[in-house]
Amino acid sequence: MTLAQALFMGLLQGATELFPVSSLGHAVLLPSLLHWSFKQSDPSFLPFLVLLHLGTAGALLIVYRNDWVDIIKGFFRAAVRGRIETPPERLAMLLMVGTIPAAILGVFLETRIKALFASPYVAAGFLVVNGLLMLGFEQLRRRAERRAALDAKPRLVQEASFAQAERISFRAAALVGACQALAFLPGISRSGVTIGGGLLSGLRHQEAARFSFLLATPVILAAGVLEVPQLFSGRVPVAEYIAGALLAGVAAYASARFLLRYFRSGRLDPYGWYCVAAGLAGLALLALRV
Amino acid sequence: MKSNQLAIGFVILAVICILVAALYLFGVLQIFASTTSGPHVKHAILFGALAVASLIAANFTREKAV
Repeated sequence: MTLAQALFMGLLQGATELFPVSSLGHAVLLPSLLHWSFKQSDPSFLPFLVLLHLGTAGALLIVYRNDWVDIIKGFFRAAVRGRIETPPERLAMLLMVGTIPAAILGVFLETRIKALFASPYVAAGFLVVNGLLMLGFEQLRRRAERRAALDAKPRLVQEASFAQAERISFRAAALVGACQALAFLPGISRSGVTIGGGLLSGLRHQEAARFSFLLATPVILAAGVLEVPQLFSGRVPVAEYIAGALLAGVAAYASARFLLRYFRSGRLDPYGWYCVAAGLAGLALLALRV
Repeated sequence: MKSNQLAIGFVILAVICILVAALYLFGVLQIFASTTSGPHVKHAILFGALAVASLIAANFTREKAV
């Protein structure tokens, strides 16, 4: 992989990771469409993607630095006391419950998931599925808004009627965490399915995005710690990879800031339609061998 | 839901998780692993984390003196 390719992949991953459009799907699909010579089935490709994710996790830690200080303190306080007393303590326990399903499925399904990375057709197919999921989540949210007689109200009023992340139930947190595990499939967006799961649990869009981003951080960091050492065990261009990861972090920081503003009143629909179109276009281009 | 029996259940689950973690770490257990030999650090760390989560759950569910 050349420096230009690594930087492109970093920018692509950082920009698409937090948008509900599947960074992994794009990272698998685009190099194939561009006829780049590096192989996605190469053992160093997954650690490279994980290194890019670490750049994203670093950006998320910066965006939510104050939240994380409160969450970590709250986690230890609540764990020792055996009782939740404050919203940050509840959020810390919700994040723990939400992280467990993704961690279990990630460790046990790793080998099979790696096999899927080899196929850009799979990534394009799942990208279409991801788009349909986003559109489905928004349809269900609109139905909830109609039930609550909110459909004629302005978007900001609609959103204010839904809950903050700390108010989500533990069962819902586990469900959102299980949704997160779907994102190990290239083409399915982690942030998309977790934001969707948050919406189904009654969160407002901005809070669903916040919960999604907070939930992502421990999994991404853990995956990074476990996978990155493989980068240094073989012949891989470490400097190029690290440059890509830094660019991914910068792009992810800008994406997070944008999305948190967008989801004050914005919906998942545009991303859903984009994924359907991009997935279908990808499948067509692959089939035509353009 | 507060129950000492449930708390004991979580403690037993934590002990089982620690044992499974040790078996993965020393390469005795190979189930669901990507290779058929050697230690499986990821699996061991996962079960170690699950043991900690079980102990936290036990602390939450045990009946506390007011």
